[in-house]
Amino acid sequence: MSSGQWIANQVLNGLVEGLVVALVALAITLVYAIARFSNAATGDYLTFGAYVTKGAATWTGSLAAGFVAGMVATALLSVFFYGWVFRRLLQRSHVIALVASIGVAFFIRHTMTLFTGHEPFVFDVPIVRAWNINGLLLQPTDVAVAVAGVASLGLVFALLHFTALGRHMRAVADNVDLARSSGIDTDRVMIALWLLIGAIAAIAGTLVGLKSVIHPEMGWDLLLPGFAAAILGGFASPIGAVVGGLVIGLTHELAAPFVGYSYKLAVSFLIILAFLLWRPGGLFGRVEEVR
Amino acid sequence: MPLLEVGPLSGGYGDADVFTDVSFSLGVGEIVTLAGTNGSGKSSLVKAILGLLPRTRGSVRFDGAEIAGWSVGERARRGIGYVPQVANVFPSLTVHENLQVIGVDDQRQRIAETYAAFPALEARKRNRAGSLSGGERQQLAIARVLISRPRLIILDEPTANLSPLLVNQVFDIIQRLPSPGVGVLLVEQRAREALAISARGIIMEAGRVCAAGPARELLADGDLARRFLGQYA
Repeated sequence: MSSGQWIANQVLNGLVEGLVVALVALAITLVYAIARFSNAATGDYLTFGAYVTKGAATWTGSLAAGFVAGMVATALLSVFFYGWVFRRLLQRSHVIALVASIGVAFFIRHTMTLFTGHEPFVFDVPIVRAWNINGLLLQPTDVAVAVAGVASLGLVFALLHFTALGRHMRAVADNVDLARSSGIDTDRVMIALWLLIGAIAAIAGTLVGLKSVIHPEMGWDLLLPGFAAAILGGFASPIGAVVGGLVIGLTHELAAPFVGYSYKLAVSFLIILAFLLWRPGGLFGRVEEVR
Repeated sequence: MPLLEVGPLSGGYGDADVFTDVSFSLGVGEIVTLAGTNGSGKSSLVKAILGLLPRTRGSVRFDGAEIAGWSVGERARRGIGYVPQVANVFPSLTVHENLQVIGVDDQRQRIAETYAAFPALEARKRNRAGSLSGGERQQLAIARVLISRPRLIILDEPTANLSPLLVNQVFDIIQRLPSPGVGVLLVEQRAREALAISARGIIMEAGRVCAAGPARELLADGDLARRFLGQYA
C-alpha cells in the first residue's frame, strides 16, 4: 500500500469515527446550549442504547426493530433522569448538575451490568469482505454507519432549523426568559430536548456497536472525544460540534499509528487542553455570540 | 373596568423589597408612562407584573382576574406582551424566525401584516437578529410582540441606547400602538418625550410612587419637571 493510499484509508476511517463522535458532541452541545450544563451521562445513555438495541434485535431477529426499540428506550431513560434529577438542579450551579450527571452515568452503567455482565456483545451482522477501490479499502459496515450517521445529523439539523419545535429550542438556548415571556412552553421544549438527546445517544451507541463491540465502558470511552469535539466546535454551536467530531475522528486515526492505538484517546485530551488554554471559543469562536 | 390594576404591590429579590406599595391602573386605548431615575424600581415592578420577579405583597389584576397563579408563559398567551430593555430578540435566530416563534394560528397572515407595517424588517428577514442595527432590533422587538395581538403591551425603556433620530422613530411607532382594545405601559427614562404621547404618568423614586396623574399635569408641574423630567429636555 502506498503512503497516499494509507493516508486515504486513515482519512476514511477517521471520517466514519468522526461521525459517531459528532453525534456524541451534538448531544453534549444541545444540552449545554439549552439546559446549560455539561452532561457527563451522555456516554452511558449511548451504552444503554446499544445494549437495548442488541437485546431487542436478538429478541425480534430484526436489527431495524432493535434500533427503533433502542432509540425509544433511551429517549425515555433520558427524560426519566431529566425529571428525576436534572430538572430539580436547573436553577442551581451548572457544576452541581455536572457532578449529578457523573452520578447518573455510574448509576446507569452499574445497574445495567447487574443484568448484562461485563462480557462484550456483538451485533449479528454478516462479515463481508471490504470493497477495494484502487487500494482504498471500504468496509460495507462503515458505509452503513456513515450513511446512518449523516442521515441522523441531517434529521437533527432539519428539526432544529425547519420545525417550530426546533426554533423554540434555539430560542430557549438564546434567552430562556424571553422565550417564556414570548409564550414558548419551556417545559415542553425541555422534554423534547431530552427525548432527542436519548435518541441521538442510542443511534451513536448502535453505530459504535456495529463498528466494534458492545461493552459497558463503550460510552464512557467516547465521552472524552465527545467533549473534545464540543469544545473544538465552540461548545454551544451544533454545526461546530459536528465539524469538531470530524476533526477529532481524523486526528485520532491519523495520529494512532504514531502514538499507538491505545493512546489515541490522549490526543483528545491534548486537544481539549490546547483549546481551553489558547482558544476557549473553539474553532469558530462562537461561545459569546450564541450565549 | 381597567385593563390592568396593580397594587398596592411590593416585591423584590430575596429579603429586601425593591419597590413598595405601588398602585396604579391602566385602561384600554391609553399609554401610561412609568418614569423615574435609574434604580427607582420601575424595571423590577414591570418584572413582577410579568411574573419574572417575585412579589411579596399585593395584587395584579388583568382584565379583572388576579394573575398571581399564572406562569410567565401563560401571562404572555393570555395577552400580556412584553418588550424587555435589552436582550429583546433572539440573536441567533433570523428576523423571520423571531417572528415565527410566537405561536398563533394564522401565523403567515400576521407575519405578512407585520412586514407591511415594518418594511425595514422584511428587507432583513433572512438575516440573523444579532446582526441588526439598534433601530432595526428595536423594531423587531416591538413587531414580534405585536404578532400575538396582546391586549396589554409593556415596553421597558425602548429608546435606551438609540440615536436621537431613532428615538423619534420608536416613539412614533409606540404612539400608534394603543387601539380600542389595547393598552400600553411605557417604562421610560426620557420622561418628557414619553409623557408627551401618554394619557397618564406615574413617577417612581426609591421604590415608591412619588407622583401620578394626567400626563399634561405632570409636565406642567415645575418642581416635578426639574427633579425628574429635565434630563432630556
